[in-house]
Amino acid sequence: MADHARPLLVGAVAYHPRVVTVWEGFREYFRDAGLEVDYVLFSNYERLVDALLDGVVDLGWNTNTAYVSAEARLEGKALVLGMRDVDAGYATVLVARAGDPLTGLRDLVGETLALGSRDSGHAAILPLHFLGADGVPIDEVRLLRFDTDVGKHGDTGDSERRVVRAVAEGLARAGAIGDATWAQLRAERFPEADGLQVAWRSPTYYHCCFTARPDLDPELARRWLDLLLGMSYDDPSLRHSMDLEGVKRWLPGDKVGYRVLTRAMREQGYLPASPVE
Amino acid sequence: MTARYCDAGALELGAGLEVLLGAVLEACPPGDEVEVAVASRAVALELPGWARVAGHEVIGEREEAPAGRRWLVRVRRGPTARVLAQPLPEPGPPAILRSGQLRTADWREGIRDVPEAADPGGGFVPLGAVAEAGGPAYGWNLNRREQLWSDDLAQLTEGAAATQWDATRDVPWDEAGPLPDFLERAVCQVVTFIAQNEYAAYYVPARFMAAVNPEFTEVLMWLASHVHDEARHVEVFTKRALVNGVRAYAFASAERSLHSLLEEPDFSASALLLNVLGEGSFVDLLEFVSTHAPDAATAAAARLAHRDELRHVHFGVTHVRQLLERDPPAKEKLVAAAEARAARLVDLSGMSQAVLEALTILAAGSLQPAQVSEGAAAVRDLMRRLAENRVGRLLEAGFDEPTARHVSDMHTPNLM
Repeated sequence: MADHARPLLVGAVAYHPRVVTVWEGFREYFRDAGLEVDYVLFSNYERLVDALLDGVVDLGWNTNTAYVSAEARLEGKALVLGMRDVDAGYATVLVARAGDPLTGLRDLVGETLALGSRDSGHAAILPLHFLGADGVPIDEVRLLRFDTDVGKHGDTGDSERRVVRAVAEGLARAGAIGDATWAQLRAERFPEADGLQVAWRSPTYYHCCFTARPDLDPELARRWLDLLLGMSYDDPSLRHSMDLEGVKRWLPGDKVGYRVLTRAMREQGYLPASPVE
Repeated sequence: MTARYCDAGALELGAGLEVLLGAVLEACPPGDEVEVAVASRAVALELPGWARVAGHEVIGEREEAPAGRRWLVRVRRGPTARVLAQPLPEPGPPAILRSGQLRTADWREGIRDVPEAADPGGGFVPLGAVAEAGGPAYGWNLNRREQLWSDDLAQLTEGAAATQWDATRDVPWDEAGPLPDFLERAVCQVVTFIAQNEYAAYYVPARFMAAVNPEFTEVLMWLASHVHDEARHVEVFTKRALVNGVRAYAFASAERSLHSLLEEPDFSASALLLNVLGEGSFVDLLEFVSTHAPDAATAAAARLAHRDELRHVHFGVTHVRQLLERDPPAKEKLVAAAEARAARLVDLSGMSQAVLEALTILAAGSLQPAQVSEGAAAVRDLMRRLAENRVGRLLEAGFDEPTARHVSDMHTPNLM
């Protein structure tokens, strides 16, 4: 039994019904290991970040944009307490029709670029940032936005499917989506992905992480992280939940891979003006 | 580290590249590297995302000289196994064929014997397959060999499959009459009584089907054939009753007897009460009907059903005998089940008079006193044979003579 009166409360966003299965499985794992963990689901990441900062939950299972928001509001003192193997080394890819000679962002001048939900780090905020970083004036690219995952930060993948469809139908010259989303669409033989190709791949960055306030009991944080990293994909009782969460191995995580997104969100007005990095 | 080389031709993700890489990487130990040659930069660009999601890692990519030809992507195999199980064993010897046939009795050879006890939580793992961990736990109720097994199951099941028949086409329905009214009524009453009983013969094994641990696949196959046979028996005798438009009664006394058969919760006790005693009696009854039937359709229906009942009786006798050999005290349980049923049927005195009369007329074929007398003699003879054969089957099933007589005497006068 935990030596705490209250279980460690993890907040997550219910972007799909499977989130319940995931957290029922994880909760049982932590409890069996002697750490009382419970979870609370929110309908969107803004509410989850508020709950984390208000002390309603101890940990938030955040997208990268949610983490960066929380980090800014905590003045750079947030704790990162784990991420999935797939969260390190994430990238945005630009997809175009097969045979299109487009090879980089500069080729998009005067063209239409399809983007996912505007609060998606990988399918909207970062692609715009990379355009600017490559010297492409934003006002010289027409944006075709699909804001169907707002609040979920693109987690449902719905807006990214629409991006792919728009490119396939010729409504946009190229579209920006997550590289893992692209691999998934290819693997599931998403019809519109056939006939498209990857034209460009961004530098890598981090995706989701567990975020805590700096006042979380260090001993509790250590036990959480030890057990999280101790999850084995070869454990039959965990594999189902880990598969649904898309993780094979948990990593401790750090803040290095969030710098570029932090810059991007500040540029695009998602963060307060005072720089915190 | 030297890497294996994999030429992916013109494959791309979604069009087979992930299948090729999956197979190549699955064959490598964790940490090994594979250099994959792909047709274009576009394909090279989509591999890191795929690799990360699949639990592997792209650790480098370069354009093969001269530029513009192929791209080489180096993938490191991740540490996880896709299937949570022991690696598949090396292939064993091929299955035994006899005259080109793969017999069920041979299919366990070199794989695994029938277990004494199977895991009540076990899943649907076909013989020879390797079970992956992590499936849901089932809760099978019948998990011990002795509760279920008979050494003849494989042959019995094959026999059932080989001798299937069709109640629509294999009975000469156009030869079901016309019969004189009194005779048609008698035939209808007899076949209605048989069909009524066949329902019980269907429901008793059907109740156990979903309780049997799937490890005992032969038992599943057997019960499926048994139930299938009984459904067809209900069909064929119902059709015989319907064919000439005459109707008959389904008697409450038969219903009381059959209801008590369904109350027996034990598989082996049910095998005794249904297969050995009930269907054993029906073997004699069906033989009687096929011999004396006044029309070709009734005779054919009885003959076809008789052939199936012989198998069901054989199963019951063998199962009970093998249970008593392995577990002699089980005799008490079986006898107690027969006694308990007899106690529930204490008010059932003798076979339904109406059925006896119908059997007599069926055998007589006429209402002339001389023929009726012969019919009555034939039924008396049937009753004697029923009692003798019941004891004979109980002896064959391994009961001592006093017990066999005791159990036989307690058997329901309804026959099933």
